[in-house]
Amino acid sequence: MVLGRLLGAAFLICFSTGIYSHLLQDPAPWMQFPTRPLWLYQVTQGLHITSGIACFPLIFGKLYSVFPELFQSPPVRSIAHFVERGTIALFVASSLVQLTIGLLNTYQFYAIFPFSFRHVHFALSFIVIGSLAIHIAVKLPVITRYWRKRDAVDADGRVLELEPNPDARFDTRDELRRRTGLPQNAGITGRVFEWIDRAPAPDPPDPRARVSRRGFFAAIAVAGGALVALTAGQSFRVLDPINVFAPRKNDVGPQGLPVNRTAKAAGVTETATASDWTLTVTNGEATRVFDYAALSAMPQHDALLPIACVEGWSQYANWRGVRLRDLVDLVDAPELASVRITSLQQHSIYGVTEMQPEFVRDELTLVALRLEGEPLDLDHGYPARIIAPARPGVLQTKWLSKLEVI
Amino acid sequence: MDVADDGRPSEAITLWRGWLIVAGVLLLGLGGLTFLNDVSFDQYPGVVLWLGGAIILHDGIGAMAVFGVTVIARRTGRVIPFVVLAIIQAALAIAVIVTVVVAPEIVKSWIGTANPTILPLDYLSNLVVFYAVVAVLTAVAVVVALIVVVASRRAKAVSGA
Repeated sequence: MVLGRLLGAAFLICFSTGIYSHLLQDPAPWMQFPTRPLWLYQVTQGLHITSGIACFPLIFGKLYSVFPELFQSPPVRSIAHFVERGTIALFVASSLVQLTIGLLNTYQFYAIFPFSFRHVHFALSFIVIGSLAIHIAVKLPVITRYWRKRDAVDADGRVLELEPNPDARFDTRDELRRRTGLPQNAGITGRVFEWIDRAPAPDPPDPRARVSRRGFFAAIAVAGGALVALTAGQSFRVLDPINVFAPRKNDVGPQGLPVNRTAKAAGVTETATASDWTLTVTNGEATRVFDYAALSAMPQHDALLPIACVEGWSQYANWRGVRLRDLVDLVDAPELASVRITSLQQHSIYGVTEMQPEFVRDELTLVALRLEGEPLDLDHGYPARIIAPARPGVLQTKWLSKLEVI
Repeated sequence: MDVADDGRPSEAITLWRGWLIVAGVLLLGLGGLTFLNDVSFDQYPGVVLWLGGAIILHDGIGAMAVFGVTVIARRTGRVIPFVVLAIIQAALAIAVIVTVVVAPEIVKSWIGTANPTILPLDYLSNLVVFYAVVAVLTAVAVVVALIVVVASRRAKAVSGA
């Protein structure tokens, strides 16, 4: 019950933060997003990955506690039973896959899954939550009955039975022996089971049962606590000193900031360092072209904003550059216009993105030229990149080439 | 509220179950449609392989391994005090769970990453240090548990006399 609650909560956190992340990248035209607090995406995505990591000990614990039911006999009692077991199989399989590919994606370990992470992770999320809803529906009488601990156990600690359990342990050996006249401990399997049964699992009121149960929960709690404590530093700075197992570490990288796509990987080493680089800003027919010097000459603004990657890691940095809204106002952009942002980067689904009006108009959204007081490192988007509050890293476009008001 | 007089689940529960199942089936359908829409056909075998693999790994290997360890643990419970066994089992479980999460990082570090800011830490060394810490804490816990067991046995012997 305890594990079920925690796991259910973790799944719902992952689902809601995941959907939010998806919608930010793939919004419907009518959607508007909050631009404050500026750490909003940092927290939702940090929660997404941290909850996902915490799910590992929780799901192992949950599956461990229910694994005897795997060996139900007979395996299928009725059509309803078959459907129930089938949905559980789907639930277990899709949950394990969802967690695993999520974790591997944060390690950028793409080689071992032969499918598109983004699409499968998105589709599977509905399968997982749908199976969860069905699972809760099936178990609802049990859940409500045992929701509070004092309703669940009697004075000795024995769990109160809800209804006659068709799989309850009965004295199989003697029963079978009586009916068939054959001793049940003959043969290899018989002897093995005899050996196992001579030391049965401690059940209440045996005091060892409590030690066993407490030890089990302690193990899950410590494993979960250790994993979260030793990895969440990649998303939440306060835990950075003990970050020893996360795939990213704060302050590691050029200008003290981690990098996802390098200039080389993006294929922009020539185009981004070209001396004739310009940023083109258009609104229909109106066009303005800026080179690096022209941009630097415009009024500069500072913003302390985080880079928050979809993979969960995030870090604050000091950016300096031209306000995006100042640039688009020079071509008379309407108040509620969106902007299409094009990067020099080729062959990427994020090479061309759209930014909604609420972000365009925000005073903290910059075309950044400087990071921590220096010109942008090539891997951080030199000559110019977008930086905006409450947005995922993939939308903080690097190596800008064109801004179109739409 | 949850159980009516005749012992059968109340109407409220039945209603909730109904709605949950409807929601669940709709979500499953949405997931299926999203799959058909977004995931290209040639990737289907990979996905099916992963789903099947999860079942085989979990039910075939994982469950059997856990079953085996449990049985062995129960049998050795004759000689070693139960609480010590529980502590050691817990420590093993913790070590295994953390290893499962960290091992792919170690493998991927060996394979190599796209840039040095990805997987920048020495995961193998950190894992070994983690094991050492777990071992030390387990030893301490075992010693404490044994002291408590011996003390309570002595107290029982004294009071029984």
